[in-house]
Amino acid sequence: MSVPSEHLFVLAAVLFAIGAAGFFLRRNLIVVLMCVELMLNAANLSFLAASRMHALAAGSPGLSLEGPTFAIFVIVVAAIEAAVGLALVIALYRNRQTVSLDALTDLKD
Amino acid sequence: MPPWIQVFALELAVTATALVVLVCDALRPCRARTLAWFSVAALATALCTSFVVEPAGTAPHGVYAAGPWSLFFERLFLAAGILGVLGSLDWLESRVARRPAEYLFLMLMSLVGAMLLAGARDWVLLVVAFELMGIPLYVLAAYAKLDGPPGEPQLAAEAALKLYVTGAASTALTLFGLALVIGAGGSSSLAGLASPDVAPLASAGMLLVLAGFGFKLGAVPFHMWVPDTYQGAPTPFVAFLSVAPKAGGLVALVVVLLHGWPRHHELWAPALGVIAAASMVVGNLFALPQRDARRLLGYSGVAQMGYVLVAVCARSESGVAMALFFLVSYVFTNFGVFLVLHAAAENSGGHALDQITGLSRRSPWLGAALLLFVLSLAGIPFAVGFWAKLFVLLAAFEAGLVGLVVTGVVLSVVALFYYLSVARSTFMADGRSAEPVRAGLALRAAISLCLAAVLGLGLWPGPLLAQARLAAAAFGGGP
Amino acid sequence: MPSEPATSLLIFLAVAQATAAGMLVAARLLRVRARAPARLKDTTYECGETATGVTWVRFHARYYVVALFFVIFDLEAVFLLPWALGARDLGPGGFVAVAGFVGVLMLGWFWALRKGSLRWQ
Repeated sequence: MSVPSEHLFVLAAVLFAIGAAGFFLRRNLIVVLMCVELMLNAANLSFLAASRMHALAAGSPGLSLEGPTFAIFVIVVAAIEAAVGLALVIALYRNRQTVSLDALTDLKD
Repeated sequence: MPPWIQVFALELAVTATALVVLVCDALRPCRARTLAWFSVAALATALCTSFVVEPAGTAPHGVYAAGPWSLFFERLFLAAGILGVLGSLDWLESRVARRPAEYLFLMLMSLVGAMLLAGARDWVLLVVAFELMGIPLYVLAAYAKLDGPPGEPQLAAEAALKLYVTGAASTALTLFGLALVIGAGGSSSLAGLASPDVAPLASAGMLLVLAGFGFKLGAVPFHMWVPDTYQGAPTPFVAFLSVAPKAGGLVALVVVLLHGWPRHHELWAPALGVIAAASMVVGNLFALPQRDARRLLGYSGVAQMGYVLVAVCARSESGVAMALFFLVSYVFTNFGVFLVLHAAAENSGGHALDQITGLSRRSPWLGAALLLFVLSLAGIPFAVGFWAKLFVLLAAFEAGLVGLVVTGVVLSVVALFYYLSVARSTFMADGRSAEPVRAGLALRAAISLCLAAVLGLGLWPGPLLAQARLAAAAFGGGP
Repeated sequence: MPSEPATSLLIFLAVAQATAAGMLVAARLLRVRARAPARLKDTTYECGETATGVTWVRFHARYYVVALFFVIFDLEAVFLLPWALGARDLGPGGFVAVAGFVGVLMLGWFWALRKGSLRWQ
């Protein structure tokens, strides 16, 4: 039994779309960060899906190496970004006692 | 030690400097002054060495190619690093004396990321270098989160978050697009997308990658963070932010588009043209009504990125060379402008245009420097910015991009208004105070370096132009 | 007619649902009701430990710092795992590279230690 590669790509695209929609619609910064994580993980999923697709096309059972390599680096980048982002959110909270994007209004035209 | 290690010699030197700074401070807390001068000395040594021994060759698996092209950018970033550290020194000592080592460490690591970009020939290295350049900036923007001019709310956290949120989204966008592109090509090599006609999925991916880079460059329509972050973050850091990462974003874009996807230009060239034109229009027009000098310069930076993108649109070797020339000019001029502003604001308490009035009277030297930098940004002969704009528009004209050239010329006339309004407020008589402006030794040194570069390159653009052409030729014919 | 694996998946789902629902229904039928509302029923653990406070409290920021370091250092294992799988083939060169990586990481740990970020008090 095998799942067609297209399904994985569609799943990744749906995840990315959910993340992007949340990124634009939600006002809570923590949720916004979660949405960014969702988008990054959608990228990971499609890296692995593409790698699997190429491996299947070449007739080998595993994954081609590019996808997993990239995914490892993406995981690390995502974690570091999350760590920095949460630290910034805490800094904002200590200044303003809120984590809402709507509070970011001191700088504007 | 493997023989290829020397292609990363400069990056390794800067990394080692950063680690030494961090560990020395951890062992025994050091003064900001000591650490900063040490960093400057190390960067200057690396810069001088790069003229004696030129790293060349490729890293295993062709992930990195060192040569005149990468060297050009490594030298540019080293110079930017020297200016960045010198410019931050006094501020660092007086305002955030508690954690100077971490500030310098983050700035140097961001520099390493930027230096790696030009030679990267593999997506993994490019993305990691790009993030290495970008992530420290989020932290640096919020570095003095409780610091701020009296009377103003504490803006740094907000500025940093605006930078962070757009930056993180652009990373996600780039990576998802990249997954589609690499998925289509099956290789993580930059030039892995061999066939000129690609699946719709991959072309969507390419546009996503382009959008992701647009965020980092601060090009329209992804420029929202630029004025806000410039206004809220500490000024010496903004001076660095406004040049090094932008040059980094641009070189990454050039490498990706002209080395990776030159055969797919029908897809990305129109999008890039629109982005360039929109950046020039929006940047210049939005800068007109600004009252805060940093916001004004933020929008001016958006416009300048539009000009340099015009050169990329030309898709020719001379276009690339002119983009390089433009970047060098932009780095020194913009650094200078921000540092003078910083010196003025430290003494008058704010960056609003009416707070820097009378600068020329209070410090004729700083006033003259600011005037020269502003004229250079505006593109008045014979400051270096004039040649930069001229060369870029000429290259675009040669490539037949008449529409973009006309847009650029018309808008540089518009730009005169706001650039001259900065100059005028400097020379306006009624300054709030007549006290002379004091600036520390390091800050004066950094401003003098910028001044020398802007004047020198304005009067003798030839040598730099030759270097830029050499680098562009090496890029075009390189691996 | 769906393919064979899809059918087994459906059957699996149905059995899982039925099991869960069946347990709930059985519990409802067989349970012993308390005669009167008892205070004991409302405690966190009906029997055993007595709760010492509510969970709705603010956690101290140092939990956050520790969690942050955990995430960063934990993730570096991601790079060690692929190396460990191919360690024999990579030979001494691979070991030196990984040792360098871990060495730089240790510098970061040393910094955190010296700056007191790992101290609990």
